[in-house]
Amino acid sequence: MKVGLNQNGRPDVKINVRLAITKLDQALGLLLAFSVVASAAWAKPALSGEAIYANRCAKCHGDTGQGVADEYDEPLVGDWPVEKLVRVITRTMPEDDPKKCVGDEAQQVARYIFDAFYSPEAQARNNPPRIELARLTNRQYLHSVADLIGGFIGRSEVGQAGGLKASYHNSRNHSRNKQTFERTDATVDFQYGTGTPAPDNKEFKAEEFSMRWSGSVLAEETGEHSFIVSSENGVRLWVNDMNLKLIEGWVSSGELRELTGTVRLIGGRAYPLRLDFFKYKSQGASVKLEWHPPHGARQVVPARNLSPTGTRSVFVLRQPFPPDDSSAGYERGSAVSKRWDEAATLGAIEVANLVADRLAPLAGTAPEDAQHEAKVRAFCNRFVERAFRRPLTPEQQQFFIDSRFADGKPLTNSVKEVVLLALKSPRFLYPDLGQADSHAVAARLALGLWDSLPDDELLRAAEAGRLGTPSQARQQAMRMLRDPRSRAKLRAAFHHWLGLDHAGEIAKDTERFPGYDKPLEADLRTSLNLFLDEVIWQTAGADFRKLLNAAHLPLNERLAGFYGAQRVEPLGEFAPAFFDHDRAGLLTHPYLLSLYSYHNSTSPIHRGVFVTRHVLGRSLKPPPEAVEFSDEAFAANLTMREKVTQLTRADACMTCHGIINPLGFTLEQFDGVGRLRKSEKGRPINTVSDYLTADGDTVRLASAGDLARHAAASPSAQKGFIEMLFNQVAKQPLRAYGSGVLNRLCNEFAASGFNVKFLLAEIAVVNALHGIDTAPPSERN
Amino acid sequence: MNPLDRRQFVRNLGVSATTLPFLVGLPSLGLAKTAPRRQRLVVMFSPNGTIPKNFWPDATGNEFELKEIMKPLAPFRDRMLVLNGVNNKLKGDGDRHMRGMSCLLTGIELFPGNIQGGSDTPAGWAKGISIDQEIKNFFQSREATRTRFGSLEFGVGVSDRADPWTRMSYAGPNQPVAPTDDPYQMYQKLYGQLRDRDSLLSVLDTVRDDLKRVSKKISAEDKRLLEEHAGFVRQMELEFGRSDGKALVSDPPKFEAGVTNQNDNVPRLSRMQIDLMVNSFVNDFARVSTLQYTKSVGQARMNWLDIKDGHHGLSHESDKNEEAVDKLTRINKWFAGELAYLAKRLAETPEPGGNGSLLDNTTIVWTNELGKGNSHTLSNIPFVLIGNGMGFQMGRSLDIKGVAHNRLLMALAHGVGHNIDAFGNKSLSQGGSLELS
Repeated sequence: MKVGLNQNGRPDVKINVRLAITKLDQALGLLLAFSVVASAAWAKPALSGEAIYANRCAKCHGDTGQGVADEYDEPLVGDWPVEKLVRVITRTMPEDDPKKCVGDEAQQVARYIFDAFYSPEAQARNNPPRIELARLTNRQYLHSVADLIGGFIGRSEVGQAGGLKASYHNSRNHSRNKQTFERTDATVDFQYGTGTPAPDNKEFKAEEFSMRWSGSVLAEETGEHSFIVSSENGVRLWVNDMNLKLIEGWVSSGELRELTGTVRLIGGRAYPLRLDFFKYKSQGASVKLEWHPPHGARQVVPARNLSPTGTRSVFVLRQPFPPDDSSAGYERGSAVSKRWDEAATLGAIEVANLVADRLAPLAGTAPEDAQHEAKVRAFCNRFVERAFRRPLTPEQQQFFIDSRFADGKPLTNSVKEVVLLALKSPRFLYPDLGQADSHAVAARLALGLWDSLPDDELLRAAEAGRLGTPSQARQQAMRMLRDPRSRAKLRAAFHHWLGLDHAGEIAKDTERFPGYDKPLEADLRTSLNLFLDEVIWQTAGADFRKLLNAAHLPLNERLAGFYGAQRVEPLGEFAPAFFDHDRAGLLTHPYLLSLYSYHNSTSPIHRGVFVTRHVLGRSLKPPPEAVEFSDEAFAANLTMREKVTQLTRADACMTCHGIINPLGFTLEQFDGVGRLRKSEKGRPINTVSDYLTADGDTVRLASAGDLARHAAASPSAQKGFIEMLFNQVAKQPLRAYGSGVLNRLCNEFAASGFNVKFLLAEIAVVNALHGIDTAPPSERN
Repeated sequence: MNPLDRRQFVRNLGVSATTLPFLVGLPSLGLAKTAPRRQRLVVMFSPNGTIPKNFWPDATGNEFELKEIMKPLAPFRDRMLVLNGVNNKLKGDGDRHMRGMSCLLTGIELFPGNIQGGSDTPAGWAKGISIDQEIKNFFQSREATRTRFGSLEFGVGVSDRADPWTRMSYAGPNQPVAPTDDPYQMYQKLYGQLRDRDSLLSVLDTVRDDLKRVSKKISAEDKRLLEEHAGFVRQMELEFGRSDGKALVSDPPKFEAGVTNQNDNVPRLSRMQIDLMVNSFVNDFARVSTLQYTKSVGQARMNWLDIKDGHHGLSHESDKNEEAVDKLTRINKWFAGELAYLAKRLAETPEPGGNGSLLDNTTIVWTNELGKGNSHTLSNIPFVLIGNGMGFQMGRSLDIKGVAHNRLLMALAHGVGHNIDAFGNKSLSQGGSLELS
């Protein structure tokens, strides 16, 4: 602001005020400073807000508030409430005679401006969401570089779970010329004492023996995994990088010790693992292989995460990135920042160093090879094409590859520059730059279902023009669903949907809930994951409704004991367990009930908000004022339901809490850790309430089961789920794809029997083909 | 400015944590001339004992002549201290190769363990810290002597095994320190960040060009994001470009590419490691270093000397086998030649910010795990000191007649002002630091 305009002595305008209003204020300052005298009283208002605006405002502000060049060119948009607009107009407008628009007229015109184009709602209506240019999300970057490298060394496969391949030797050096045997060990947790691993085998002596366990380990979550080997003997462990010992403990003095190594792994992928052991002369012998995964507790690496089948290593980027924008309810690459650019740069350097380091195996060559440089260049070409998800033009080949090679320049320098250029290029970082061809379809399918780069099959299909029609794209999507990366993607989507992706530790009052500890909580998270996997991947139909109303949950012995459930055959570590009361899938999963509770009590509000937003797909505004729930503020004999009712009884609260509370109350029969409870404060639990649906119907819900039945049949819940999944796949707003898409997906989802896998594939296809026209003429509409 | 201070300094400037890796790679500038002189210790190890008659000078005192093995060290005769009569007196678990190696710099017994040697009882790791790490910790605990790495452990042809035969450096009981025997890996550790920065600077301009090209093809609304992105790239270019020029006191050595880590490349690998070590001293990355040739029981086949036998196998041959004695003499002479190269490089490199050469402020200790290969004796272990890092009286050959080597290790600590009362085994430390000045 210019100084001269501030002579009225009023406080300066705040920096964050919208420009439009700033200008109005400046005008006011100017007018007051020069003491312009007001004109005579204004005639009685007779015009509508719209008419007033058209007559007196549009000349300078444009007929839809868009602004007028040389008059007032800033559009009239903002997020101030209408009352504020009234005050500003009353004081300052019109500019040449602010007294001309006051009172009821100011009210009328302000309301018109607000509704027609000023308010956020009006802006959204007038400017429907569009598909915006987006960079890779952090998850997409991580998976893309893993598969970019994996494309040259072979992809990691997830083998049949069930333990590790074990070979036993009656010598200390794993030699095969002695009597040895092989078997599969479900876990590695053995106490041999002063005996041998094969008490019935006379060839085995306690003085010396050795074992090797090998195969692969499947990570559930992305992050740092600690592996712990406990033994008084010689041990070595490799995980993922088989050239680097994660644990080196070959030398031992016979005392039991815990050796820890930490490695970053990407969830949903398998990694090669090998554990070597030997005993020589020490008193006793034992070996235990544990891990402490992210969100988990320390435990013996379970058989379900181990496979006797080996696999390739995975390149796991170490570089951390700042969090993605998730203000729209899902993580998307809609913004760049200095920190992000630096992280992407350091990420590119990390990849470049790896490639330079492993150039020979990656490029399939050796320095002494006569064709070495030619092979390195060919590798660079393939590397950049994979990164850009499409073939290079001759000009691009010159720009990105050939120009980096020169006589006398070390080859590794050239390669590093090529990698840096490729990974710093917008062609890698912004996967959709608007090319509407079959390579774009392949790129979108790979991002949608894997958050990664197209694999060879997709690239071949794109090259051959076999991706143009919905049926061709659908065929690819169905194939891609069988890849473990789709499972990982869907699990990430579910975790986001259920609010788990940022859930830290759920601390509970140990006096109130004895027995609820970290291992139990880790088991609960495992149970939830297994439940999701079972419904989606192991049950025909992949029925969305089962997620909400299944009567059983997979529980291990500890959980079954704590929650009073009966496990049924076949009894694996986790087995289907049934309760003597109604349970309803995710809605009553104890992990979620615990997450959406206070540390020492239930929280109908947290549970109600979760059900309203995430399960029933309804929107809620943020509370008008933050009210903290403080247990001590209530009479001691009140139930939680009574406290919440009392706390939210004001009209301003009840606009939303009228929806939230009844939903939360239906889950009141489950305590703060999700166990059934019959009474509270000596009184029976009241779970009955009336819920007003989005369509205006009142539904009586008496239990979690009622809620589950309502949710499973609710179109609003189905739409919410579809939109959630769509956002996760496309990383764009669903409404940007046209008004009919949601209804069409809804109908197809219902027709499929609410098959989640079908829906996922369908969404991937819709997203992949949007705006694409590659079908041969005969197939075009 | 020490590394911690530099980190603090960077934080105060408000530079984000992600740029830090680029900045911490920058070495500190040379110390002012008024600062106390830098003192350095290098321990060089070669295995399997020596050939005493071709190694030890006949005379003691100032007037001594170098025998065949030590002939390459002639240019440094006046800056040499030959110490005969120093014994590794540690008993207990482990064969003599193991104790010779893992007690060499620790002066303390090995834990009982599961590693069986050719004789004696099986053993584990050493029970205590080694003198190089002790001195490193002493240096790192003081502002004036703190460096980026403190110590650097170089190896040549060590092998990938980790056991009491392959480790002489210990950070503490049961904590062996692995030497790095791949010079490219050491190069990456020392200079990787600077090299990364150079690679990056060479492409940023092209990256912006690429962003511009892509921008032309997209809608005006979306262009804004790419413009913003290009702004950050430009910013990075300016920030990283600025720190150019004041980088290193000395540029990293120029390496030939693709020297693989294998037996026949040992001579080349040795020189690469020595060049890196000298360069790291000039840039003051560390003031303590070890240089370990193969390992105890090392089996280098010195084809470059036309010797086809493995070193350890030869060392078991009888003194009467003249051919073996000749080969072992040549093998040990080759190690002396590498030591001479190291000493020469240090002698011809000026001390940055100070007077004289690096060798004027560096003491090299050349040693071995055994006195003699075929007897496996731990007495009369070869100890040859070169350089003037510690104020010892040089240009002498001494026979100390069976002193415990703990007292020599203590003398190294005292030589840098770290006046410890004992090191390793207490009773073997009796008599205190060996008087060498």
